[in-house]
Amino acid sequence: MASPRPTALTDELLEDCLQAVHRLEGAGRGEGLGRVAAFARVTEAAAREALQELGARGLVQNGQPGGLTLTPEGRRQAVGILRRHRLSERLFADILGLPWDRVHDEAMRLEHALTPEAEARLATLLNHPKTCPHGGPIPAADGSLCVPATRALDQMPAGARVRIQQIVEEEARFLRYLASLGLLPGAEVRVEEVAPFGGPLLVQVGEARYALGRDVAAKILVQEEEREEPVSCP
Amino acid sequence: MPMSCHGALQELRQEVHLTVALAGNPNVGKSSIFNRLTGMGVETANYPGKTVEVQLAETRYGDRTIGIVDLPGTYALGGISEDQWVARQALLDSRPDAVILVLDATNLARNLYLGLQILELGVPMVVALNVVDQAKARGIQVDAERLTEILGSPVVPTIATRGTGLDALMAQVLDRVTRPAPLPPRLRYSVDVEAAMGKLERGLASRDDRPHALSPRAIAILLLEGDPEVGAWLGGLEGADELIQLCDEMRAVLREVRGEDAALLLARERHGLAGLIAAEVERRQPQRALTADRLWRLTTAPLTGLPLLGLVLAGIFSFLFYVGDWLSTGFSGLWTAVASPVIRWPFVALLGDGVLSRTLLWGFDAGINAALAVGIPYVLTFYVLLALLEDTGYLNAVAFLSDQIMHKMGLHGRAAIPLVAGAGCNVPAIMGTRVLGSMRERIIASTLIVLTPCSARTAVILGAVALTAGWKAALAIYAVTFALALGTGIGMHRMLPGRGTGLVMEMFPFRRPGVRAILKKTWYRFYHFVVMATPIILGGSIILGGLYETGLLWSLARPLRPIMEGWLGIPAVAGLTLIVAVLRKELALQLLITLAMVQYGPQASNLLSFMRPDQIVVYALVNTIYIPCVATIAILARELGWRRALLISTFTIVLALLVGGAARGLMTFLGWQG
Repeated sequence: MASPRPTALTDELLEDCLQAVHRLEGAGRGEGLGRVAAFARVTEAAAREALQELGARGLVQNGQPGGLTLTPEGRRQAVGILRRHRLSERLFADILGLPWDRVHDEAMRLEHALTPEAEARLATLLNHPKTCPHGGPIPAADGSLCVPATRALDQMPAGARVRIQQIVEEEARFLRYLASLGLLPGAEVRVEEVAPFGGPLLVQVGEARYALGRDVAAKILVQEEEREEPVSCP
Repeated sequence: MPMSCHGALQELRQEVHLTVALAGNPNVGKSSIFNRLTGMGVETANYPGKTVEVQLAETRYGDRTIGIVDLPGTYALGGISEDQWVARQALLDSRPDAVILVLDATNLARNLYLGLQILELGVPMVVALNVVDQAKARGIQVDAERLTEILGSPVVPTIATRGTGLDALMAQVLDRVTRPAPLPPRLRYSVDVEAAMGKLERGLASRDDRPHALSPRAIAILLLEGDPEVGAWLGGLEGADELIQLCDEMRAVLREVRGEDAALLLARERHGLAGLIAAEVERRQPQRALTADRLWRLTTAPLTGLPLLGLVLAGIFSFLFYVGDWLSTGFSGLWTAVASPVIRWPFVALLGDGVLSRTLLWGFDAGINAALAVGIPYVLTFYVLLALLEDTGYLNAVAFLSDQIMHKMGLHGRAAIPLVAGAGCNVPAIMGTRVLGSMRERIIASTLIVLTPCSARTAVILGAVALTAGWKAALAIYAVTFALALGTGIGMHRMLPGRGTGLVMEMFPFRRPGVRAILKKTWYRFYHFVVMATPIILGGSIILGGLYETGLLWSLARPLRPIMEGWLGIPAVAGLTLIVAVLRKELALQLLITLAMVQYGPQASNLLSFMRPDQIVVYALVNTIYIPCVATIAILARELGWRRALLISTFTIVLALLVGGAARGLMTFLGWQG
């Protein structure tokens, strides 16, 4: 676990927090301060300060109910960072050959340093990839994003049959542990039980049954099996 | 005493004709097979810094001795989690002549993943297709012959809890190692992966210094998976630049053509292959879920789970209370009637009726009698219950149900398992917190375990409070302790920086626990308890006896008066036993009873002769909360560091005194004296 960084209000910190809001919003969850801080790997105090600054710059607003959302300008900037992050991940994975579970950490650093020109050259070098090594889509240069309509597993009712699309978790050991249990993108999952009041989920994968905490299930993005939702390109 | 794993494995290999490793997923009956194959002489070994243990034992088959290495139950071999790392390391270090892979016939697909990994390492394998009876009951039939053909390894159906098929299994093992292995099975990855692997294999074939003498194919797979150990080996090689480049290139190529990292790709294809094999050898008849399975699901269903948990807890409590009390009366009565006179006689005959003989009799008569009356009955009873909870799989239901409340304390449901074990003994429970991800979780969980009444403290609560002040008072002590632990956990979660991780845990179907396994487990734990506790009980009693017989006790107790009599309202001598009890918590009550018996004769085992019920409640409350025993402090220091161990200990002393004083005040205010 990386220890929280010292808290100076740098551009890097602001960009990380902006991206955190964007990513967490993308997962369909109104998210609190703690989650943003965890994503950006800073203390909650630093995250609070950064979010205030982002609010003052008109990039982030407090949406309903209680969650943080991006303004249109905030979204434009966040998509730009996301593009640079995922292109950087591909660079580390494809060209430099780092294991797929370590590229996120490296990309967290490089994404801030790329100029628009370097970004364009990188995209050309990588032959304009569509997805990051974890399966996440890379936004196009004009900011458009092709996202398959997915929902987090923790929002599925008991009895739902779903297929795992993507796992939004950046910690290496955790991803590989899930993979060894057969919980990897493409796997079919049946939600057997959902404990009330925010308790864990009981899911069946093949013949095995697993208990997954709500927070774990929230990181697993799924598509419902019965009605395959079309990929939407706005 | 656990010994270093590498050394222990080398030693075992030298002592026996053959070495066989047992591998399998968690809860597939691997321990049952191990217990059936071996006797009582089991050794445990650890790798430095790892808690997951490897068990070693020797057995005879025909005229040969066979060393059996029981690997930890895992879903895979690798470096991701501690159990997976230990399993692979011990497998490679023991260089077994064969591996027995225990498969769960009811969940073949997921179980075969591990088997494929073992075959990839190139170790001869024999498959125990276990719980075929349960598979049959669920309408699943597995074609063992077809599976044998596909895996190129003999498959023997077994029912380990009854010992069925184990002779045939061992015969196959001997057959497998004495005759040359058949050709490597035709287990292949996709064309792209095989092509990449082939290039790496050819590059590796010329090197004869491969780690653990693994085959080029095995190394190629590990390299593609990005295994850190093999990666480090390659990185440290002279003139291997080309090979390193080739490896990077192959990973990049795989990503290019398949759009996925090689590690994930291999995991996916292995799962796929395992699924295909399972589908080919299984025949499933659709049928209604088994009654047992449907009933078992009630343990986790939203409406029934919590009430059932309440019933189970009530059951545990009353079982402990009644069976423990019955054993206690029996043991103690037997000792007083039979052993006590026999033991008293030589002391009195040899040493006369002086201070020395009376002091020694404190230990060898009254001390052992008190251990039989207080510690042993409740600890023994609890260990039987704990083994039952573990072997039925109910502990996982407890983890599932408690996930949410654990979350409020920055933990997740799996922390419930060491916490329940903590109700037996805090020491192994604190070691068990290593299954939790972060240091933060381990600190919180360890503190909660320290506040969990272990069976020694339960012995004091039940043996003193329940018998003199009634079971409601005893329950109240548990309620107070539970509330304190909950408050402490929530407070720590708020104060400590960081956040918790999530729950990922397999839920097992109900398994009928085997009597043998339960008894063996209970005996193993109980034996360790007795070996550890007896010298301390004897020593503590003799020291206290010496102080009593010489009259020093009363002068030592005097400085305690302000706190014990003034603040807690209990006799200062009782306070002295509380302090001595830091050696072992049940010692508090044992010494108190010993004191009473010496003072008022053997009939005075009734505490009420010198303490009121309300005093006993305060006494037991303080004893339950304050500072864990020395063994617990030592394990806290080893696991979390001295500073944290002292902080936790100090916290519990302050808490105990505050709560004890408050309880006294409350009872005085209400005018309750029992």
